[in-house]
Amino acid sequence: MSDSTVRSEADEAWDDLLRQLRSQPKARPRPFFYGRVHARLTAPAARPTLLAWLRRPAYAALLAALVLSLSGDGSGLRPDAAVTARGAASDYPPPR
Amino acid sequence: MAYALPLLLADDPPTLAPDPAAEVEAELVAQLQLGNEAAFRTLVERYQDRIYRLTLSLLRSPEEAEDVAQEVFVEVYQTIGRFRGEAALSTWLYRLATSRALKNLRRARAKKRFAYFTSLLGFGNDVLHEVPHHAHPLALLEGQQQLGLLLHHIARLPEPQQVAFTLRHEQELRYEEIAAVLNTTVPAVESLLFRARKTLRKHLQPHFRHV
Repeated sequence: MSDSTVRSEADEAWDDLLRQLRSQPKARPRPFFYGRVHARLTAPAARPTLLAWLRRPAYAALLAALVLSLSGDGSGLRPDAAVTARGAASDYPPPR
Repeated sequence: MAYALPLLLADDPPTLAPDPAAEVEAELVAQLQLGNEAAFRTLVERYQDRIYRLTLSLLRSPEEAEDVAQEVFVEVYQTIGRFRGEAALSTWLYRLATSRALKNLRRARAKKRFAYFTSLLGFGNDVLHEVPHHAHPLALLEGQQQLGLLLHHIARLPEPQQVAFTLRHEQELRYEEIAAVLNTTVPAVESLLFRARKTLRKHLQPHFRHV
């Protein structure tokens, strides 16, 4: 089969597909759409609060991890006292 | 030889015939700006199907599509005072619907990425953050696999191409109308559509040969 035949078949298939796309049954919203829009207009607007965010476990876990890492006494970040003392002593010559 | 004078050369200045549709629309906008509820109802009933179809085409979920369509009309009600009539009312509605639908899509993609990230960290919130992937209702019909495949790849096009392709091939808008909705030029729309078709055909080509 020649290239031009393949191309024309592909063109035809493509056009056919676009025709299918256009000729689909037209979707419609559910009945009483206006009633729902109207209800939405008259309903008070809900404002997202900080507490709503905290209800999400992932955010709560991240926040907890952050709080734990910041609220410690920082001992994990400080070098060991004995090591520091030894290091400081070795900087000076031994006493005679 | 006598020639009949063309109308433009007549004594009376030419007058453009008023467009009845434009007059009706202008009257509707005026009533909406006065807060007339009946006018708002007319607007919703006149455009609800087109706006719903557009949001459904972009979001592929009937629930989300209806939600966004409702939001569009609520926004129209709240901001109609700022509508100056530079574009047609339908263009403005399509613009609002497109922008809100794309915002929803971006939010859904961000949620998906977040769900993936939290699952990597082992928080196990998959149930909370998993965004359901909706198959297009059209794709569910038997014997429409190719159409389903096409819709699948349309959803993966870059946003401007996706919107242009949807407006052209699903909503059947003219190039000028699409350009107005996207706030761009007709050649830019042609370019978007050309690139969209090229990408889609590249993905679908192997399937055409087996038809």
